[in-house]
Amino acid sequence: MRYGYPLGATALALLLATPLGAQTLRYATIGEPPSLDIQMGTATLATTIAQHMFETLYAFDGEGVPQPFLATGGEVSEDGLTVKITLREGVMFHDGDEMTAEDVAASLLRWSEFGARAGILGLESAEATGDHEVTLTLSEPNGAWQSILAHPNGGPVIYPADIVSEAEGEPISPENYVGTGPYVFGELRPNRYVELTRFDDYTPLDAPADGEAGGREALFETLQFIPVPDVGTRMSGVQAGDYDYAEYISGDLYGLVAEDPAIQVKISEAPIFGLMFTNSEEGPLSDNIPLREAVLAALDMEQALQVSVGEPELYAVDGAFFPEGSVWHTEAGTEPYNQGDPEKARQMAEEAGYDGTPLKLLVSTNYREHFDQATVFARQLGEAGIETEMVVVDWATLLTLRGQPSEWDLFMTHHGAMPDPVLFTVVNESYPGWWQTDERDAAMAALTETSDLDERVAAWADLQTLIWEQVPTIKVGDVYSFDIASPNLQTPWEDAPAFPHFWGASTN
Amino acid sequence: MGRYVIGRIGAAAATLFAASIVIFSFIHLIPGDPVSVMLGDAATPEQVAALRERMGLDEPIWVQYLVWAGNALQGDLGRSIFFETPVTQVIADGAETSILLALITMIWIVLFGIPVGILAAIRQGTWIDQGLSGLAMLLASVPTFWVGLYLILIFAAGLGWFPSSGYPSIFEGGGLANLQYLLLPSIALAAPNAALILRLTRASMLDVSREDFVRTARAKGIRPSRVVLRHILRNALLAVVSAFGFTFAALISEAVVTETVFALPGIGRTVVQSILRRDYPVIQGVILVTVCLYLVINLLVDLSYRLLDPRVEL
Repeated sequence: MRYGYPLGATALALLLATPLGAQTLRYATIGEPPSLDIQMGTATLATTIAQHMFETLYAFDGEGVPQPFLATGGEVSEDGLTVKITLREGVMFHDGDEMTAEDVAASLLRWSEFGARAGILGLESAEATGDHEVTLTLSEPNGAWQSILAHPNGGPVIYPADIVSEAEGEPISPENYVGTGPYVFGELRPNRYVELTRFDDYTPLDAPADGEAGGREALFETLQFIPVPDVGTRMSGVQAGDYDYAEYISGDLYGLVAEDPAIQVKISEAPIFGLMFTNSEEGPLSDNIPLREAVLAALDMEQALQVSVGEPELYAVDGAFFPEGSVWHTEAGTEPYNQGDPEKARQMAEEAGYDGTPLKLLVSTNYREHFDQATVFARQLGEAGIETEMVVVDWATLLTLRGQPSEWDLFMTHHGAMPDPVLFTVVNESYPGWWQTDERDAAMAALTETSDLDERVAAWADLQTLIWEQVPTIKVGDVYSFDIASPNLQTPWEDAPAFPHFWGASTN
Repeated sequence: MGRYVIGRIGAAAATLFAASIVIFSFIHLIPGDPVSVMLGDAATPEQVAALRERMGLDEPIWVQYLVWAGNALQGDLGRSIFFETPVTQVIADGAETSILLALITMIWIVLFGIPVGILAAIRQGTWIDQGLSGLAMLLASVPTFWVGLYLILIFAAGLGWFPSSGYPSIFEGGGLANLQYLLLPSIALAAPNAALILRLTRASMLDVSREDFVRTARAKGIRPSRVVLRHILRNALLAVVSAFGFTFAALISEAVVTETVFALPGIGRTVVQSILRRDYPVIQGVILVTVCLYLVINLLVDLSYRLLDPRVEL
């Protein structure tokens, strides 16, 4: 670690640099985070930062199994409609008040009414039935309730009741960021940094750390998240000692850093996968599943991944929606994936009655991978005689256009790793694509009506098979992004989690 | 002079009003909205519509314009949807970086562009002139981001002489020493602009040196250095000064590439990112302030003509 710059070195610079070194983690981010009120948004960066301040009732352990966190446990009634959750006592908010059942009930209700993933739990009511007991009533049994309560991304993190009732459906403003986590909100300087400082009265869970579950300990005094939009600068910044950690280094730089002893490479343990959604509501694909199968048959994913990622160590051609190692991983039904057979596709399209109408392929340029993959797909489909018309817009425009069924037939996006299939966007009927079939309803019911993990895993295998049969969306492949860290940084995890956390992290 | 200034200010106000309408309507005409960006990929159209309503984004555009313009007249540019802080604060924060960067860059441009331009002009046609003109062509054609990345690679990651990126305010810990953060970016930004000023200085020096009064001055036996500095340069600078005004304004609003490469919290990057997120209040505020800036700089440039050339009537 360097303590100054010879040329610009002045006593002042030295004074500035010295106290920062050991106690501040400087994390170079890909951009500025949106609101850190993570009930209201699903941006990865916001979750990465805010999880240090806000906590959930359950948390995922190293195996991805939800464990009680702010809760001490929960009981489901026979009919599966009532969940009684007991809360840990003596948990302090950053404002000095103790967390009560009222706070938890208010937070859950606000999330289920206005949150980014509102409705996913089917929460009808949440009531404080004791100082440290909350009773939830669900509209129908939901076997994934622990996972849903554990997922901080767009999820039910716990805020004080008065802050929640003041904010309602609007994002909580920064001066009201109050949570129970090991770090307190410090300062947000637009385009400069978001700073969190250690919460001295933090009440850790008395259990060994395991994934996100277990005890959390703030070893760094300050966490600074600094937007550094250029990937080359993020990398040079770590090499120069200006940052301790830098996220999303691009695949073409992998060769450069993999051999560099001055850099730790942290490959993501949670792959992101590209998705091409099909329009089930309107247009040539909407009531023509055989035509969607023809589209699928034409696609060679190896090519698309080679072009969009490059480095073979950073992608995997796999039709399973959950990666190997996850309890949900299964290859069931993935045979139609990655056929890359233009002749077969041409024949299937003919049989499906395809009349040569160009398919509108909606894609944004903000994510280079989406655009590269769409370009490859357009060519592959063209070889199979399926015409496409690329509609290239920016991401904000895409988000609006994809809500209008007449504007697209296919659109490109990506999906982060998910702890439970109920969090998969394609199973949400109101998500653009609007996949609503009787078979889907039956498969979803099987997945959610029980809490038994084995039964749910079997139900997911059926649902995955159905997705590859009815093709509401097409998976491109797994992409393992990677981050880099300075050699001195010690993190409590080896491979980077979906939302890297820095409690338990330190420099040596 | 007084009447001239008042007239110019009146014209500027009219320009500002027209610009505010154009800014507002253009921004709201682009498809896409801040709420769907904010709520993220998993949000449903119903949720997006509900939050739009709460934030007043479903009001007719002219209503939104009147509210915004009314507040802007009182100095309130609204709150950033994305940062949830007042737009004036976002702009003030970015302005420090952008103005200081532009000032330091201007120093390089003046120190390099003008003397070297003069040198090339008085050595016209020699190998010095050709070498310097070649250098100017090279500097003007190499992309700023390329220069920036190489400066970081060599002087920050390699030699460790300068910080690689970022810029902590000079009003915070570190004080003026923080200006070292702007050294590499200002060099990257100065390179193409200095080359342009160099070429412009050279060209107008040569133009002026062909004038009759220069020949007369030479014929009177005035020392060559005095002819160059007193007669040619002073007249040649008129064109250069007006280029300075625009260069300075452009450095503030168009330094986006340099700001991105060096992760500087400047105005250019703020506005580009805000467009991508549809953060209407920030885009409107920044463009409004930029328009004001151009108007003021224009006025100052026009006034400075008089100082340089007493024949100019205002």
